[in-house]
Amino acid sequence: MSAGTLPVAGARARGRPSLALVAWIGLLVVLMAIGLMAFGYQLVNGLAVTAMRNTVMWGQYILFFMFFVGLSAGGLIVASAGRLFGVAAFKPIIRLAVLEATVAVLLAAIFILPDLGRPERVINILLFANPTSPMVWDIAIVFIYLAMSTGYVWLYARADLARAGSALALGTSASEAASARDERVKSAMAWVALPAAILLHSITAWIFGLQISRGYWYTAIMAPLFISSALVSGLGLVILLALVLRRAGRLAFADGLVAMLGGLLAVFVVVEGFFVFAEFLTASYPGAPGEADPISRMLTGPYAPLFWFEAVVGLVVPFVILAIRRLRYDPRWVALASGLGIVGIFVHRLGLVLNGLSYVPIGLPPGVSIGISQAGGSAFAETYWYVPTLVETLIVAGILAFGALLFTVAAAILPMQEHENH
Amino acid sequence: MPDKVSPIEALSAASRAWGEIGPHSPKPHWGMAVDQERCLGCWSCAIICKSENNLPLGQWWNRILTEGEALDQPILERGALEMHWLPLACQHCQNAPCVKVCPVQSTYHRDDGLVLQDYDRCIGCRYCMIACPYGVRVFNWGAPARPTPHETGMVVSRPLGTVEKCLMCVHRLAEGQVPSCVWSCPSGARVFGDLNDPGGRLVQLIREREGEVLLEEVGTRPSVTYLPPRRRTTL
Repeated sequence: MSAGTLPVAGARARGRPSLALVAWIGLLVVLMAIGLMAFGYQLVNGLAVTAMRNTVMWGQYILFFMFFVGLSAGGLIVASAGRLFGVAAFKPIIRLAVLEATVAVLLAAIFILPDLGRPERVINILLFANPTSPMVWDIAIVFIYLAMSTGYVWLYARADLARAGSALALGTSASEAASARDERVKSAMAWVALPAAILLHSITAWIFGLQISRGYWYTAIMAPLFISSALVSGLGLVILLALVLRRAGRLAFADGLVAMLGGLLAVFVVVEGFFVFAEFLTASYPGAPGEADPISRMLTGPYAPLFWFEAVVGLVVPFVILAIRRLRYDPRWVALASGLGIVGIFVHRLGLVLNGLSYVPIGLPPGVSIGISQAGGSAFAETYWYVPTLVETLIVAGILAFGALLFTVAAAILPMQEHENH
Repeated sequence: MPDKVSPIEALSAASRAWGEIGPHSPKPHWGMAVDQERCLGCWSCAIICKSENNLPLGQWWNRILTEGEALDQPILERGALEMHWLPLACQHCQNAPCVKVCPVQSTYHRDDGLVLQDYDRCIGCRYCMIACPYGVRVFNWGAPARPTPHETGMVVSRPLGTVEKCLMCVHRLAEGQVPSCVWSCPSGARVFGDLNDPGGRLVQLIREREGEVLLEEVGTRPSVTYLPPRRRTTL
């Protein structure tokens, strides 16, 4: 494998985007346009065009919201903890991690909109904010965090932009004194960023974990579990993006860093597995139906494929890969482990939403009225299998495409390489 | 949509008297008792709720659950066949999870104990539906479908993309009349009244029959009480 030198072969002259890049951006723009049309269709016809009903009232949008909050929190926790504890080795990827966190939290914020029945009234959250609602606190922290991480991205790129005479430097100077001040501000911001990132994902967890109506969610481990999931998926994505940017010639670092991050990922995977085990054991041991039934649905019931996929493909396999020293020093294996870790966390979140909601509270026949009239079907359901519709999926794809586009453009424009000597 | 005209004024004196709320304390806490001994499982209250509140197809604020495995199917209890129903609508909790979680205070408490809903403020996030341990809230997913071109009852139809639920016929209470599920019950299984009135029929019944609230363990403190069946007769 390549050593830690700049992959000159991959570097291209600035200002001449490759054909592949143009095709990639074109694809993203098309997906965004389709997603926007699907959103328009949903606005006109209501959320009836989704597969959500009174029985399973949250679906794919919320799933992606919490998944992206996790991706964001994980990336920034790793970056700011690295800075806070003076892990100099993390330096080459710190700008990438901060940019990833910013784009991810922006996507999370966007994912709230299609989930609302009346998105045009979203301002009511400001006007009539209810202090006892975890959702209000979560949206507040999402926007504070978004502003903070955007400032962070700019702060890291500022001096380089000023040196290059870019307008994005907003007229700031490239002097030594300014750079020294930057370093002080960055260090101070790391103190804010780390707790903010932890808080961001904890409050998201509490949207679910404080609800006594949902046996599967009502557990004190929800916030710690969300943090560990965020660390696995966030670090996994940072590793993948770092390798992509290195290949594209935008970033240079040694394979040793990949191995180090891979080792860290292995630790996070173990913590995630430990939290899941602790929760499942606590919930199922007494055998009380409200607690144990959701667990047995995950272990042996209808959601067993999700759980075992997460456990084996999302936790065991990445851990085994990363635990083997030879594989950890091979970026291709670390990339595979990172990808599996991300998919595993996504499937875990999917199980969380589905298993939390598919069985109606007070599960006596005939159940809950589903909320739409359907020829030939019952108006009631005790259990409901949520499978997203095409419209929902196109909206999600459009938002994901927007995030990918934003990241691609930002990573192409902003200097991504952090200077080692600072 | 034309303004609705209350037919309560158009009712005969006898009909009006049948639906009178009756004496109550100066500061009432409205509540209801559902007598599971008297309930026939006939769904009359569920149907009149749909009609009174202008509910579209596929949407129910009030429904009649059967205790057991299947709708209207008896269960074997201590060697004998039994059949009981659980009429279920909003419990108007005093510690209401929906009021707690609503980000915009669109669902709120009124001084008389009712949990009401402001349809013009609701953003349609459905967090209240997540939080409700009774599963009684419903969402307007699409354009309302009705069996006839006409709207029904005393309430205007709700906007697309908002959450709604039983409001204890708050429009009827304003006219001194009990909710429609109460006056229409053929077996008199529903009793409406003032929980603050110790001498009133509602409080007396709850005391005598040792009324129980649903899911007491989740601490919601409902205003609806269930009167469990005393005689367990075989069918």
